[in-house]
Formats: sequence, structure tokens, C-alpha cells
Amino acid sequence: MKLTHIIAGTLGAALLSTTAMAQERGRDGNVNVIYWQAASILNPYLSGGTKDIDASSMVIEPLARYDENGNMVAVLATEIPTPDNGGVSEDLTSITWKLKEGVTWADGSALTAEDVVFTANYCMDPDGGCQQLSKFGGVESVEALDDLTVKITFDGPKPFPYGPFVGSTTPVIQAAQFANCTGEAAPTCTEQNFGPIGTGPFTVTEFRANDTISLAANENYREAGKPAFATLTFKGGGDAASAARSVLETGEFDYAWNLQIAPEILADMEAKGIGTVLSGFGPLVERIMINLTDPSADLGETRSTVANPHPFMSDMAVRQALSMAIDRPLLVEVGYGKAGKVTCNVLPSPAIYDSPNNAGCEVQDIAGANALLDEAGWELGSDGVRAKDGVRLSILYQTSTNAVRQDFQALIKQWWTEIGIETELKNIDAAVFFGGDQSSPDTFQKLFADLEMYANTFDGTDPEAYMGNWACSEIPSPDNAWLGGNMPRFCDPAYDALIVEMGGTADINERARLAIEMNDMLMQSYTIIPLVHRGNVSARANTLEGVKLNVWDSQLWNVADWSRAN
Amino acid sequence: MLDENKPRKKPLVQVKNLKMHFPIYRGILKRQVGAIKAVDGISFDIFEGETLGLVGESGCGKSTVGRCVLRLYEVTDGSIDINGTDIATLSGVELRAKRPEMQMIFQDPQASLNPRMTVGSIISEPLDEHMIMTRDEKRERVGELMDAVGLARRFADRYPHEFSGGQRQRIGIARALALNPKFIVCDEPIAALDVSIQAQVVNLLEDLQQKFGLTYLFISHDLSMVRHLATRVAVMYLGRLVELGDAETLYMTPRHPYTQALLSAVPHPDPAQAGNIERIILKGDVPSPANPPPGCTFSTRCPRAQAKCKQDSPKWREIGEGHFAACHFIE
Amino acid sequence: MLNYTLRRLMFTIPTLLLISFIIFIILDMAPNDPTGNLPLTIPPEVREKIRASLGLDSPMYIRYLLWCQQFFINEPLNLFNQWFGWCVGDCEGRLRVTSWATRSPVVDLIAERMPQTLWVVGMSYVVGILIAVPIGVISAYKQYSWFDQIGTLISMIGFSVPTFFTGVLLIVIFSVWMPNDSVFWLPSIYDTTLKVVDWSSFVQQMRQMAMPVMVLALFNAAQISRYMRASMLDNLSQDYVRTARAKGLKEKSVLLVHVLRNSMIPVVTVIALGIPQVFGGAIITEQIFKVNGLGQLLIIGIQGADIPLVQTLTFLFAVLIVLFNLVADILYGFLDPRIRYE
Repeated sequence: MKLTHIIAGTLGAALLSTTAMAQERGRDGNVNVIYWQAASILNPYLSGGTKDIDASSMVIEPLARYDENGNMVAVLATEIPTPDNGGVSEDLTSITWKLKEGVTWADGSALTAEDVVFTANYCMDPDGGCQQLSKFGGVESVEALDDLTVKITFDGPKPFPYGPFVGSTTPVIQAAQFANCTGEAAPTCTEQNFGPIGTGPFTVTEFRANDTISLAANENYREAGKPAFATLTFKGGGDAASAARSVLETGEFDYAWNLQIAPEILADMEAKGIGTVLSGFGPLVERIMINLTDPSADLGETRSTVANPHPFMSDMAVRQALSMAIDRPLLVEVGYGKAGKVTCNVLPSPAIYDSPNNAGCEVQDIAGANALLDEAGWELGSDGVRAKDGVRLSILYQTSTNAVRQDFQALIKQWWTEIGIETELKNIDAAVFFGGDQSSPDTFQKLFADLEMYANTFDGTDPEAYMGNWACSEIPSPDNAWLGGNMPRFCDPAYDALIVEMGGTADINERARLAIEMNDMLMQSYTIIPLVHRGNVSARANTLEGVKLNVWDSQLWNVADWSRAN
Repeated sequence: MLDENKPRKKPLVQVKNLKMHFPIYRGILKRQVGAIKAVDGISFDIFEGETLGLVGESGCGKSTVGRCVLRLYEVTDGSIDINGTDIATLSGVELRAKRPEMQMIFQDPQASLNPRMTVGSIISEPLDEHMIMTRDEKRERVGELMDAVGLARRFADRYPHEFSGGQRQRIGIARALALNPKFIVCDEPIAALDVSIQAQVVNLLEDLQQKFGLTYLFISHDLSMVRHLATRVAVMYLGRLVELGDAETLYMTPRHPYTQALLSAVPHPDPAQAGNIERIILKGDVPSPANPPPGCTFSTRCPRAQAKCKQDSPKWREIGEGHFAACHFIE
Repeated sequence: MLNYTLRRLMFTIPTLLLISFIIFIILDMAPNDPTGNLPLTIPPEVREKIRASLGLDSPMYIRYLLWCQQFFINEPLNLFNQWFGWCVGDCEGRLRVTSWATRSPVVDLIAERMPQTLWVVGMSYVVGILIAVPIGVISAYKQYSWFDQIGTLISMIGFSVPTFFTGVLLIVIFSVWMPNDSVFWLPSIYDTTLKVVDWSSFVQQMRQMAMPVMVLALFNAAQISRYMRASMLDNLSQDYVRTARAKGLKEKSVLLVHVLRNSMIPVVTVIALGIPQVFGGAIITEQIFKVNGLGQLLIIGIQGADIPLVQTLTFLFAVLIVLFNLVADILYGFLDPRIRYE
């Protein structure tokens, strides 16, 4: 009893003190952020660069954005419109957003639905050269129903209507400020593009293009006590290694973005103990694609097409054994360090799409793989290679030329030798491998090998198009000039049916269920062997609190919540 | 000629056993592996008011002697007594104080004048350094000197490159005279000039010698010019003196085989007699001063050389009144 | 001399026009697309619209003439307007040369970056010269001495070790290993927004300049000291030096008045010809210390296919190179009386 009291008491005190502190905006002084690519403009409609979008996300905000798990959260809107709450129409052709009440621009004027309408027209102006136009794809009209309600109508059903005004790429800009900047005048409005008036936690005090942005806390920001920092310096330039050094070793900066450097170097820097490396994971997965068709050169025109099933890869036991023999944690350690993690899914994120059904691949199981092959009748020959009915398990393993990939090939070849599978390695220059040259036999689409390794991802948080890659119609073949993303030549009517179902489903949880089901079909048939889930790496100073690395949106999405540790 | 100088006065310059060896460095560590014996132990006197001609083939070390005598090089060994002071061992400050007494006229009048200084400042620079004079006095002194060498005073503000070769040599002479020197080394002062100009410059040097009572060491490979100008003549071969004597005596009766060969090559002023002189053609090249032959250095080319010559170095001895030579076969 | 200068200046006008045209053609032919850096998710038709909005759909000669009008007429008029308040023609709506990436006038971008480039690169040039001249003089005067050997070694290092190595080395020593509270600790990142208003901000400016300036100064000094040494050696063996010694001058005046002054002639020319590079910035060093001067601006422009920015910057460099060639020639005429331009 007494103990509970004490705990309750301390909790209460802690709560009190945080609320007391929270009442003071700008209490933590200055914070330094470094992006080794410098921001050149603060208007994302005129620049597609991540650096520009991230920088502007501190100043101007969209109606909703993605959190660190890829879930949508309302920002200027009261809630995310869905078919359930009536925000998305039954026929999926329109979406209606409700704005929060009482939100003001940094200059004190009120945010209205007209600003949202203006922004849409600003981007959709044919003479404006808007770089986010694809986000407004299919938009027929945007209208203000009242001061706080906006309706976006599409030219057809949109099961995923969250293109415009979701995420930092399409924030709301102030109509009053940009009134004279539409169409051809858009690029001439230097002052506006360098210093947009926003609703975000910071306002621009000085913008030096491609160099440094000085920002100050927005006095009219809607949340009391935020941001904690009075000023923010956004420095650009240099390279990833020196940006990492400035946070992890010299302590001059508090946050560094996108540190694509060798894992051991980063680990050495982190060992100094003044900063922390953060990793965030989008949907990028390094994987092995198994060729379910026969790549034998003797087949001529029908080589690697569905006309001829693969002599032994069509046996699931072989595919499963290949997967079981791989030590994924070791691959992560060797190749990516903190920028990678083990995954057993080809669709590992956003979190709601991550299937829980395939765990277990983390542990290498050479004995299990051997047993599986024994059971399937593949007997070990005198040369250490398994065979059945005169078919030897001898495979050609191709990938692009890249130091990490060649390390992976060597390790995996070793493991497969241990289960009696002979492996020949091949690496192809990336420009050729991914180049799609019709005349080259070495493209990743032609897949004139038994299996191949590369990484792939998708844009945004919605996996519909990505999962659609493994439809029967996507199989590359001479008939479609070897175009299409279905490298394993996987074809299952049940899978195609799921794709169609997803195209007509708007509910996010239902879409997640479908995506997981598709992922599981691919995983449990061992058509695709996922290896490493690759991520983004950033670093923060240990004194900086509240950072949540976000790969689905601007990395500075929650800068309002950042504060200085005591 | 110059007969009034014949009665010998005390020597103004006494050079004893002068040696100038330039070290040779080789290899990565730049070790000294030998030395070029440009001047290898020579001695002579120069009397006040006379002109001593120093002749020899190019490369024999005569210019080095001239520079050593003024201590423009740090000599390897020997003493150089000028007007009672051994300048070979003087310290920097003492040497500078001595500089006004001894001057030099250089071979290449273009290269020896600083291209970025006007004629006036070239001539007056030694005055700044060694004399306390007002600007007007200096200007007047520069004017006098330019008058003395036959240059118009208005040229004082011009640069050396604006003058002809002969005029430039006059500038060089004016500069040498600025501090009223007693002794001037003329290092091939006419070699770079046109023949027509050579005579003018030589006459100027003679006039100045008379006017200011100068003593010259006149270095040249032009034997006829030396005969015209010099009181006495010294002949050099491979870093050593081979013969020294009165100009007339030496030219009329050369005793050393090298001198004889050298003089036989001079075109005779009287073509009628020219045919009577047998030309002596020397065989072979001058040996390297880095590795001179043992014994008499001339032995490799001497028409009279014998076994003895290759072993013993001949002594430098007086063979007549004021006539010296180094040869085993001269009685 | 004046006539010569005027005549040379007159000739520079057609030269520069030709250069500007050549730069324009080269940039136009370069396989560079301003939409190339955009994410792959942007569809081709959107890219086409972006290109059209940048004016890329009009023929090349029109774009060139437009640039000429903007650069040679509108920009100077705008400068007049800003400096003297004179307004000629349409002061508000006048089209200026505008960067595609930042959508702001290129000349303003350049003006914004000029201070840090001149501070850092210019200062490193000055420091480099101040180090190089004495090293060159002493090395030549005491040829093959230990000083000369060390000087040669240092200039060899400065010459051959790239600035991205020396720069990072200095950062590791002075920013990483050095404790942050030490007086010798130096910032590894240059703060371009720092304004020097008092003593402490001046000290801060000096500290943040220290490393980039030293890195570049070492490189510059290496080059110039070699020129200086060679030129001194050349002159030391000249007859006029012997003349000067024969005059009985002090060794100091022989060296400093006669030899040094003559040796400086080619070195001054080399220095003058190097000045345009100062304005060009030091791309690598600027990147390492994040000075973000003109060099970094040019690199970003090239990477982003920002043609108006690259065109204007390269043209300004061309102007500087042509002008400083002229300056070097004129300086030569002043320094060496043997040379006369008529």
C-alpha cells in the first residue's frame, strides 16, 4: 500500500513538473540539424528533393501525415477520413477532410478550407511546373464546403484516396501569401518560396539557399509549450561521413540525416558515446528470387519462360532447404550493421502489413535442411552434391556487382555447400543487370540463372502496386519484351484473385489482411527468399530527446516534440 | 707604351698560392666525391698603376682567378694581399669596408646590370652603401661618372635594356668607378662587344687608368688586345700559371711550349711576316680540371713532353728578369 | 600602357561573348536533365510540364538571347537600381537570371556566398603567399641545406596530399581528439550565418576559419614556394648579383633588393593568374568544412543540372580569368622595365 502511494506520488510529481516545463515555449535554446544535402528551396511543390521536403516540413504542414510506423495521423485535419466515418464516399470517388478549429498561420491569420483549395489549384496549374503533380493524379476538383471542410473529388473510384495533402510532400500553403505566385509566376516568387508562412512549429528567419536555414519557434503554433527549442539551425553541405562525425564525435550538431556509410565506421564513431545511431526501416528488402522456370541455354526461345518448369527448383523442398541454410543475422552484421535487420517477409513494413506468420527464418538450420532434402529423395553423391534421377543440385547464382552483394554470395555459397548444393557465382555490372537492355542476356528480368539477388522497395506506404508485381500477367517473357516485375515467374490464380480484391477494398485493416495473405503465399512457397530488411540511418546527440526516426515521411516530422535532456 | 710605369713600384696586389676547388657532390646523400680544381696554386703580384694581362683558353680558370682576387668566391687556400690587407680571411663586415678599393668590370654588360634598376640607381647604389652623401651630391657624382665614361647625363633615368652593348659596358665601368677604387679586375670586358666597339671601350679603360691612376687585372682570351693594353702578361693553363713576364718580352720570345703554341695562333699584324711563323697545332683536348693529369698538367698535349713531365710537376721559377715560367726544359 | 590596356579591354568583349556562347552550347549539349534528380515516382508527363515551365521547350538560340538580355542588360540595371536607387525601365517586373533549383536570382545567390569564399579561400591565398615567399627565398639561398630539404618535403606533401585528406586529418586532431573545452579545439563545420560584431564573434570567426585556411594555405604555399625557389635560383646565378656583391652591398640587400625583386616578377604573375581560382572557391575544402561558398554552389548547380546557375557562374569565372590575365600582363609591364606594351 505504502509503496503504491510513493509510486503514485512520484508519478504525480513527475507529471506536474513536465506540465510545468511544457508551458514554456522555446525553453531549450538552439538545436542544430545537419543534412549533408543542403536545402535549396522551402516549397516542396517546386522541388522533389527529400532535403527540401524535410526542411519545409518544419514550417508548412499537410492535413495528415505518416508516423514512424507508417500509420496516418491527422495534423491539420480533425481525423483521417475513412469509409467507416463517412469521410470517404461509398463509391470511393471522393474524400472529405475536416480542418481543426482555431489553427492559425504564423502571421496570426486563420487557416481555412480556402487555403487547401488554393494549394490544390496552385499545384494543378498547368503552367506552374508543380513537382508533386502525381500526388494529385486523378483529382477532378477540390472544393471548400465551408470554412473548415474540403472535399476532393476523383475521376473514378480511389480505394486509397490519400495522395493529396497526406505527407510532407503536399503541405498546405497560405493563399494570401502565394496569391500572386500561381502558374508561370510560381518560380519568380523567391521571397515566398524561401520563407513560406506556415502552421508548423517553426518559422524561417533567414534562408540561405543550398547552405543554412535559420528558424525560430512559431509563436502562433497551435500546441502550447511546443516547440521546446527557441531556434533551429538547419545546415547543409558536406558528405555523410562528416555529418555523422559532427553528431557522434565532435558534438557540434544534434541531428544528422541519412548516414550511408560503412557499418564499422559508424559503430566506431558511436563508441565515443555522445550520440546515438538511429535506424528506420522502409520497405526495402534484399532478397533472393528463385527462378521457377528452366534457364537452360538449350531451350533457345523458351529459356526461362513458363513453358518449361525448372528441373529441381519446382520442388518446394529444395527451395525451403535453400532458405533454411542461410544465417540471416550474420548477413546483417557483415553487410549493413544498424542499417539492416533480419526479415522473413518480402513486405516487412509498414508495421501493419508485416506478417507475423513466417517467424523462424532467423535461425540457421543446416541439419533441418539436410533432413528435408534427404526426405525428398535428394541423395548425397560421392562428389558431395545431391542428386535425384540424374538431376544434380547445381545452381547458378547471379547478382549485381557490389562489394556487399559479393560478400553475401560467398557466404551463402558456403552454406549451400554444407547441404549438398553446388553453387556457381556470377556478378553483373549494375548498369547492365538493372538496365533492361533487350539485347543483353544478363538483365535481372531475363533471369538466365537459377536464382538472383537484389533489393527492391516501393514508394509511399501503400503496397498494392508492389504486391501486384507477382501476378501471372507480370511474368517477363519475350512476348512482353521481358518487362514485368514477376522475376520468379510465380503464377497462382488464388494470388491474382487477392490482387483484384485489394483493388476494390478501401478499409485499411482489410487491405493489410490481404497484403499479409499475399506475402505469406510467396513466403510459404519459398518463391522469394528474403534476406535483409534494409533501412535508413540517422544519428542524434544523446542530449536530444523526442526524436522518432520516420522513413514514411519527413524525418523532421515531429520536430515540435524534440527537447533537450537535462 | 706606358713607359713611365716601367720603374717598378711596390706591388698593390700580392697573390700567393691561390687555390679554388669547387666540390663535386654525387649520389642520393650528396656526398663530396671530388673537386674541380679551377685554380690550383698560383702566385703573382700586380704593381701599382700597371695592367696585368691574364690570358688562356676558355675554361682554364682565368675568370675564377679574377673573382677570387676580389673574393667573390670563398677561396680554398692561399692569400690575397691587396694594399696591405689579406682579403682572403677578412670577415663579412671588414670585407665590405674594403670593397670600395677593388672593383670589377664584367664580361656580359647586359646580365651584370640589374634589369629593374635605372642607370642612375645602379651607379649610385654603392654610394648609398659606402658613403654619406646628400641626394644632390649623389646626383652630381653620378653625373660626373657618366661624363667620365662618355654617357649623356640625361640617360640616368633609363633602364639598362634601352642601351647598346657598348653603352652598357660604359655603365658597368661607371658603376665600378663610383667608389674611387684603386684596383679593378676587368673580366673579359670586351668579349661580348662588337669589334668596332671593343676599341672604344679599351681606349676608355686606358684613359681612365691614366686619369685616376688605376691598377688593372685584365682577363682576356684576346691575345692581341692584351698585348696592346697590358704591362705584363700571365699565361694560364688548367688552373696554373705557365709563364709570366713583360708583355713585349713574352710576346717576342715566349719560352713555355704552351705560350709558344698560343701565340703562334695569333694573326700577325704584318701579313708579310705572317708566313714566317710556324703555327704550332696542339693535339687533343684540355683535360678535365676535376681530374688533371699528374706531373706537368700540360704534358698530355705538349709537343716536347717526356717521361719526366708526367711524373714531376715543374717548378715556377724566374728564368729572366721578372720573367717566370714552369717547365722542365727551360734553362 | 593606357592605350594598350584599353585596346586589350576592347578585345575582351567579343572574346567573352564567344565564351558565353560556347558555355551555353556545351551546357545545352550535356546529357543533363533538370528533372533527372527527381524521384522515379514522378511520371514522364509531369516531367515534361516541369521542363516547359523552365523554358526548355523553346529553341536554343532564343534561350541564349534571353540569357544575354537577362545577364547583360537586366542584371546591371538591377544593380544600378540597388546601389543608386535609379530606376531605368520596369524595375519590378524585370526578368533576372533565375536558378532552376532555388527559383531565386542567381546573382543574389552568388552575392550571398561571396563573403565566405573570399574570407576562407582568399585568406588562405594570402596566408599561402606569406608562407611561400620566405620559404622559397631561404630554400633557394641555402640550396640543398636541411632547410631546403624540409621545405621541399613540405611542399611535396602540400602538393601531393589531397586536401580531403589533410582536411579530415585536421578535423580528427582538432575537433575529435581535442576536448571540446580546450582552447585548441576548432569547429569542424563553418557557420556561414556568423556575423562579426564584437571581439568574441571575431575570435569565433578566426577559429572556424583556422582549419580550412590552413589546409588550403598549405596547398597554395606548396605551389607558390616552388615557383619562388626556382625563380630565386634563376636570379641568384645571374651576373648582376655578383655585381651587387662586388659593389660591397650587405648580403641582406643583395638578396632582398636585387634578387628578390627580380625573382618576384614571374611569381607575381603566377599569383595574379591564380586569383580567379580564389573566386572559383575550393570545391573539396568547402565541402569538407561545409563553408558552402561559390565552389559548392557550382557543384550543386552541376549536379542538379541548374543551367542558368552554372552558365552564369562559369561565365563570371571566364570574365575573371580574362581580366586577371590582363592584370598579370600589365603587372609584368610595371615590374619589368624591359617589357613595354605599345
